[in-house]
Amino acid sequence: MTGLRRARLQRRPLGLLALLLFLISVPAWAPNRFWINVASQALIFAIFAMSLDLLLGYGGMPSFGHAAFFAAGAYACALWALHRSPDLLPLLLVGLAAGAGLALIGALALRARGIFFLMLTLAFAQMVWSVLSNNQLAGTLGGDIGLIGVPRPVLPYVPAVNLFQAANFYFLTLVVAVAVYLALAAIVASPFGRTLEGIRENEGRMQSLGTFTFRYRLAAFVIAGALAGLAGMLSASFNFSATPASAFWTTSGLAMIAVIVGGSRSLLGPAVGAMLVVVLQLGLSSLPTPGLAEHWQLLLGAVFVAFVLFLPGGLHGLVRGRAA
Amino acid sequence: MNISTASVTVRFGAVAALQDVSLEIPSGERRALIGPNGAGKTTLFDVITGARRPTSGRILLAGADVTPLSTWRRARLGLARTFQRSALFPTLTTAENLALAVRARMQTGWRIWPSRMERTVAMEVSSRLRAAGLAALAQRRAWTLAHGEQRALEIELALASQPRLLLLDEPMAGLSGEERQAAVARLRSLPPHVTLVLVEHDLDVVFAVAQRISVLDHGVLIADGTPAEIRADHRVQEVYLGRAD
Repeated sequence: MTGLRRARLQRRPLGLLALLLFLISVPAWAPNRFWINVASQALIFAIFAMSLDLLLGYGGMPSFGHAAFFAAGAYACALWALHRSPDLLPLLLVGLAAGAGLALIGALALRARGIFFLMLTLAFAQMVWSVLSNNQLAGTLGGDIGLIGVPRPVLPYVPAVNLFQAANFYFLTLVVAVAVYLALAAIVASPFGRTLEGIRENEGRMQSLGTFTFRYRLAAFVIAGALAGLAGMLSASFNFSATPASAFWTTSGLAMIAVIVGGSRSLLGPAVGAMLVVVLQLGLSSLPTPGLAEHWQLLLGAVFVAFVLFLPGGLHGLVRGRAA
Repeated sequence: MNISTASVTVRFGAVAALQDVSLEIPSGERRALIGPNGAGKTTLFDVITGARRPTSGRILLAGADVTPLSTWRRARLGLARTFQRSALFPTLTTAENLALAVRARMQTGWRIWPSRMERTVAMEVSSRLRAAGLAALAQRRAWTLAHGEQRALEIELALASQPRLLLLDEPMAGLSGEERQAAVARLRSLPPHVTLVLVEHDLDVVFAVAQRISVLDHGVLIADGTPAEIRADHRVQEVYLGRAD
């Protein structure tokens, strides 16, 4: 072998194992339910950020509308759980399908590249947001309040395990997060993932080598949308609600910050970045100093700018000791 | 694979980059395309590969009209090109650059699960690395390679498509004498059925490689003939050979 894949495999094991053990142990030492819930939120956001990184890092597609697919999963699952059944397995599928389905529509943006792609995806997500928050549709979508009273899912085979309990729900999100990580890691290392990177690096050259690049970009967009929908599903269950804010551009923006702070073109980076963003958001918005807490976005923005200026490779780049 | 262009014209606004260019290159021929800067050589390559649509005229590959086909479809018919300015995958390693080209040819890039084909890909990549003299640089990222190494990779990417028609856009530009010899040798190793079209400013290389030469000037095909005929052609001497380059 020429070491095509060797480099990739070497990077993984140790940090990954340590992170997994740390995550499994959270409910054991978390002082109370509140912190377990913070950890659940962090994991949900990590799934969302990893799905965005498939586009942003590996595919070179700067989507600024990823929240639309998150919201699609959240709303579809909220409706399903409210009107059909709270069984977990169908809910997972509904979340994936809703994200993928909306991504097929949003794929119109794939005609554009770079900043134009960014603006189109942003516009698309804002359209989704305006539909969701439209009070004329309040009868089905709940208008600007959203859908509330969403039940927690029920596990198959072991319905007695109560997902209303913080630790139980946390383990559900952990299992889904690990599954998403493994799926994305496999995709990224596969011939498909490599081709996607080739398209990011030089789309014209891939075409002149005989690759129908649109097909790859579309597939990546739909996969990322489906996984964002899955994160949305968990979010609706976690919050007992799906709200229009989940589709707003700030949600997309936070995910982008998570990917860039964590380091794009790795999966663990954005996952850790997402956890950092959730914890920072919480920490900054509960600062005791009056006046500062309300402006947590400003502080988060400052952190983001610091990362872009001083650590362009993100946390991942710092750990790997490589620039950008 | 034979290639012909039928009355190809490309206009950028009022400027005609190519005017009524009709070329006929039979299968297996080694053809050079020369002409001063701005004569339309690269534009002609763009039109042949599908990177640019002609304002009028048609492109025929192996007798079939491919004018409406996209770049990637023409590539799958056996058309490959190199670029005047290296078009590599800069942050990927040399080996990965070549693997992308090999997978694109085998059409296995779509697979999500690891497959046995990856072994075949890796084996071909190592033999190509050796053939291109890049074996020691397999794990270097393409952007860190020296100019000559990038040009060698540029050519090898096109060769990895196993083309039936290969368009080379100034492959020797900026190469040292030694690198030039290596590149010429690599091109000479092409199977005889491969049609080769070479845009090159180095006339020593042109006269050494080409069986026939076509001359473009200001978008117009002004001469077409054997190297001896081209050397003797007065118009060619006027617009091209006579000028200090």
